[in-house]
Amino acid sequence: MAKVLMKGNEAIGEAAIRAGCKNYFAYPITPQSEVAEYLAKRMPEVDGVFVQGESEVAVGYMIFGAAGCGERVMTTSSSPGISLMSEALSYIAGARCPAVFVNIMRGGPGLGGILPSQGDYFQATKGGGHGDYRLLVMAPEGVQEAVEMTMKAFNLAEKYRGPVMILGDGLIGQMMEPVEFPENFDTTPTNKDDWATSGMDTRKSDKKNIVKSLFLDPKALNDHNLLLKSNYERMKQEEILYEGYNTDADYKVLIVSYGTMSRVCKTAIDTMKAQGLEIGMIRPQTLFPFPEKAVHEAAVKASCSHVVSIELNMGQMVEDVDRCVKGQRPVTWYGECGGDIPTPEEIIDHVKSLLNN
Amino acid sequence: MDIKLSGIVIIVGNYGSGKTETAVNLAFNRRAVGIDVAMADLDLVNPYFRTREARQVLFEKGIRLVLPEEKYMDADLPILAPQVAGLIKNPAELTILDAGGDDVGSIVLAALADSLAGRQINLIQVVNPLRPFTETVEGCMRIREEIEYSSKLKITGLVSNANLMDETTPDIIYKGYDLIQEVSERTGIGVEFITAHGDLLPDLDLTRFKTPVLPILRWLVPPWKRQGS
Repeated sequence: MAKVLMKGNEAIGEAAIRAGCKNYFAYPITPQSEVAEYLAKRMPEVDGVFVQGESEVAVGYMIFGAAGCGERVMTTSSSPGISLMSEALSYIAGARCPAVFVNIMRGGPGLGGILPSQGDYFQATKGGGHGDYRLLVMAPEGVQEAVEMTMKAFNLAEKYRGPVMILGDGLIGQMMEPVEFPENFDTTPTNKDDWATSGMDTRKSDKKNIVKSLFLDPKALNDHNLLLKSNYERMKQEEILYEGYNTDADYKVLIVSYGTMSRVCKTAIDTMKAQGLEIGMIRPQTLFPFPEKAVHEAAVKASCSHVVSIELNMGQMVEDVDRCVKGQRPVTWYGECGGDIPTPEEIIDHVKSLLNN
Repeated sequence: MDIKLSGIVIIVGNYGSGKTETAVNLAFNRRAVGIDVAMADLDLVNPYFRTREARQVLFEKGIRLVLPEEKYMDADLPILAPQVAGLIKNPAELTILDAGGDDVGSIVLAALADSLAGRQINLIQVVNPLRPFTETVEGCMRIREEIEYSSKLKITGLVSNANLMDETTPDIIYKGYDLIQEVSERTGIGVEFITAHGDLLPDLDLTRFKTPVLPILRWLVPPWKRQGS
């Protein structure tokens, strides 16, 4: 297929359709509403369903219902909306149901603002809902990557039988870029006959499938949670994704940044390189599992004297970066948390100030 | 060939067709030849990448600009600055009103019906054939009908803004031109101009076009790109 020009939100909607998602439930909230607007037009064309719930709480359980039937299902929202869905996220993770959640983040906490933010890093990677669960979290830097990650998310959700989150900031949803959709993508839900409540017709035995997260027997709950844990450990072995930028050079400072913030950092790095100053960057593409080894190895490179985590929040990923660097280099945070995005010039000034101190 | 537009020009089109980039560049183009230009941001549906994002450079180039109050600039609410009606009543030599996308974005024009009544209006539909829903003549005509229904106004002119941003090629410009010509033939609505990025102009066979070409620079860019690139 030839390239088309699409807004991130539209492209995420189209990507879901091309990944075989026929079930989309959502509630409008800026800056992700165009996904719903787009899928309101497109879902009927592919015999799919879009239902706008009466709230994000309701949407979360619509997702649970469809996911429990083994169907490919997605919702999209923005920060406060994801907060409302977090109860359902916990239930879906607990019941081991595959589903795709997209969070196009806006400023917070509370109602915050409508401008880009990465303030939901903790919420996405450390919990949000109750209980002992993790989400596989992917963070695209642009529209093309948002498409590829969204499509892949459906397969990963089925592979691990759990919710997968695409974590983008408002710019990912709102900016337009040329995109190309992968061809020959496998759109068939896998392995659902073994566990989903999809009827008896295709099942080889007459055993009932029950989807639940209630385990009153402490040993049963312990075993269930250890099974979840084994899935999360497997993710750490098989799903870590990251990009190294200018990491072949003998860089003085290592930047760790993700999403659209990393795009600003790349411009800053290119500018500094032209000035004769080498700066490297690790861009985590998966936030959970986090590229711990890559960050550690890049940080302890002999030429590197400082590590800075650059984020659109008040410093969240910096805690993971610090954990990976293990005290071997100073680790600091730089960023904005009100909706403004640092310019390449501001990044350059900050990086140079680290070298001058 | 020069662009002839003057008076009140309202820019409409499908979502993401490049209305604002077209409007801002049209404003600069006309201002550069000494015309008094005013602009108003009527985009009540798009949260980012609106005319207001280019306000600094528009002010610097002497273009009068009507925007919502500063404190509401990033509000998630449809806010129509009351000064817009005044601008319509006392227009500049060229007054550009940049509406939001699709029929939804055009509803605001119906709200301005009293101010617009009896005035000569140029309602310009911008088309980018590389966007969903306007790849075909039928798609462009459907969007036109929806916009006309919502705005209670008739489209009077067409603009091709065919582009794939940094990946635009001459073939894309030619394809957009051919499509807009066909829309023009089917609807009887004239093509006002087509757009092409300034860097592409030397590669284009300009004799192929029967319409003016508006050179485009990009003013609504993400923070890692330079305005006016």
